[in-house]
Amino acid sequence: MPHLRKLALALALSTFALPAVAQEGSALSPRVVNEAAVPTVMAKAVEAFIIPGYRNLTEKAAAANAATAKLCAAPSQPALETAQGAFSDLVGAWSAIEIVRLGPALEQNRFERFLFYPDRKSTGLKQVQAILSKKDESATDEARLKGKSVAAQGLGALEYVLYGTGAETLLSKEGDFRCRYGLAITKNLDTIANEFLAAWQKPDGVQAAWKHPGPDNPEFRDSREAATELLGILVHGVETVKDQRLKPFYEGTDDKGRPKLAIYWRSGNTMASIAGNVRGLKTLFDVADMQSLLPEDSRSVAGSADFVFKSVIGMAGNIDGPIDQALADENKRAKLAFLSLNTNDLLDRLNKDFGGAIGLGAGFSFADGD
Amino acid sequence: MRAATDLIDRRSFLKMAGAAWVASLAPDRAFALARADAVFASAFMAQDGSYGVATLTEAGEIIDRTALPARAHGMAYSPVTRRAVAFARRPGTYAMILATDGRVEPVVIAAAEGRHFYGHGCFSADGKLLYATENDFATNRGMVGIYDGTNKFARIGEFPTYGIGPHDMTLTADGRLLAIANGGIETHPDFGRTKLNLDHMEPSLTLVDTATGALVQKHGLPDDLSRLSTRHVDIGPKGEIWFACQYEGARNDLPPLVGSFTEGEDLKFLSLPEDTTEALANYVGAIAVNRNEGLIGLTSPKGNVAVTLDARTGAVLKEERVADAAGVAAADHGFAVSSYDGRFKNSQSRVAWDQHIVRLDRR
Repeated sequence: MPHLRKLALALALSTFALPAVAQEGSALSPRVVNEAAVPTVMAKAVEAFIIPGYRNLTEKAAAANAATAKLCAAPSQPALETAQGAFSDLVGAWSAIEIVRLGPALEQNRFERFLFYPDRKSTGLKQVQAILSKKDESATDEARLKGKSVAAQGLGALEYVLYGTGAETLLSKEGDFRCRYGLAITKNLDTIANEFLAAWQKPDGVQAAWKHPGPDNPEFRDSREAATELLGILVHGVETVKDQRLKPFYEGTDDKGRPKLAIYWRSGNTMASIAGNVRGLKTLFDVADMQSLLPEDSRSVAGSADFVFKSVIGMAGNIDGPIDQALADENKRAKLAFLSLNTNDLLDRLNKDFGGAIGLGAGFSFADGD
Repeated sequence: MRAATDLIDRRSFLKMAGAAWVASLAPDRAFALARADAVFASAFMAQDGSYGVATLTEAGEIIDRTALPARAHGMAYSPVTRRAVAFARRPGTYAMILATDGRVEPVVIAAAEGRHFYGHGCFSADGKLLYATENDFATNRGMVGIYDGTNKFARIGEFPTYGIGPHDMTLTADGRLLAIANGGIETHPDFGRTKLNLDHMEPSLTLVDTATGALVQKHGLPDDLSRLSTRHVDIGPKGEIWFACQYEGARNDLPPLVGSFTEGEDLKFLSLPEDTTEALANYVGAIAVNRNEGLIGLTSPKGNVAVTLDARTGAVLKEERVADAAGVAAADHGFAVSSYDGRFKNSQSRVAWDQHIVRLDRR
């Protein structure tokens, strides 16, 4: 696909050449946060994105638990495939909602217990392998599993159980221990998913704080702080995709790539998960009606963000198959290059263009804990 | 081994920084930073999204600027060697040392293997050593990296900060100890700037002997203030150490945000009026002391405010609304305050000033 390379190059030029010629001056007219619009946007974010997202997560976790239970009770190729399919569905549900890395996700290490990644020194892998080789029965009990390392109880561990070395033993009773460990992980994930949902559904809990910014609010004293948090989900979400999900296995056209550092490489869910992250961000942007925060003369900012959102989602979803094969395929490498550039572009659209237009400006990403 | 590692680091650093930036270090640019009327320096982001460090006059007008490869944060200055340093923002991997009198070219250092900078540091009293707060991220230990100013700032050693997530650090008045603000927040470069331990933070303030690296004193915070991140420090008129905090707990709490201590004494928190605490939005971004006038200056970008306190009584002398308030440094009278939207004292420039200002004190 030579045209794709040309497109990537053109985008590279536009991305990197523009700042060099941009003149200082022509500052935007002063922007202020549309305080009146914020509470409705926050309420929609909770009701139409966060709660449904966690509800979906509980459903997919329950389904993974049921499918794994069936596999353990009666091992077979179809049962294994059903359990693997349920795992991929669970990864899909998590990828959409993991962008909300705040509030209940930060408490009791819930985020890391659900997904421990990256595992650069293979700490988690070694623990999972040790549990499997020693047949550590305590890992098959949900309550005791919860007390183990965060790396041994989440999606990464479950992926290894279902796809890693020795997963073929799951086709017979030989894999009984392995299966029961996997089952305990699915129960643990189901429990955490329900904790997320319960925390967000509690009427006087975090959702009340999100819906009613004010002086007595434990999260946001005013609408500006609330808008900052919401924009933070978008910006940090794209940063995470760029720096923590793409970069570990692919750094650009000269990089041969490191497929085994890619998230979910064993199950082939790498790109589906990345597409799921960005689809989650776009869904949040849309269903919370975040464009209503834009002043009338800047509504086009939402249009350009939408365009890049779709481009990133489309391209990520378009890179199919195992990630090691994608990295060895010239056409797919060109798509990865295009995806990287588009992700950088999306970050600028949201952080600078959108953030600036809704009145948060440079201050948004500046004042975040230093 | 160490030298070889540093060389590799520096090479890969220069590769990362890019040719355009390296070219900007040509002597005519770098030396132009030096002007007798340079009083302040601060890092900034330009409108095109590029980063740099600028020198400014007492009035806050930009004298000149030097490009930086990535965003910088805190700065320090040695009046003896007349060198200033700009540290990359966490989890950054470079620091650039500038000669404010233009006698020598800027020096760039790269973080050692397994370490990153936190964005702050200071020079030894004689200006020969540079200390940087760093993260030993494999073990989550705060470290002080030591760099030799007489030998191209080669990294010659390190010692612990005796806490996690160190941020700002300053030399005590007698030049003997480092006063270190361990913010208590665990981060790891694999996870970017994500705060990993908000439900079990360990903030502390430590005094460490520069000669031996030994811990002289450590102050943890009481349990009810475990979410109060101790982040910035400066030295008061009587040598006392002033510190300022950022609160990670509930937004409607009213925690103490500022305090002071001296060697051998407990921490003393200032009891600010409730409306001042509210105005600071539980977040002090920068603190500076005007030692001549006995004043403490605070800024809060979250509260859009700059506050001046009496260092002796703790009384609030002035509370000024400054949109996107960024840095603060002692001025001839009172304080110079900058903002993310380009204000610096009464001057306006088309840059976003970063969180800190250093005074290039010629005394």
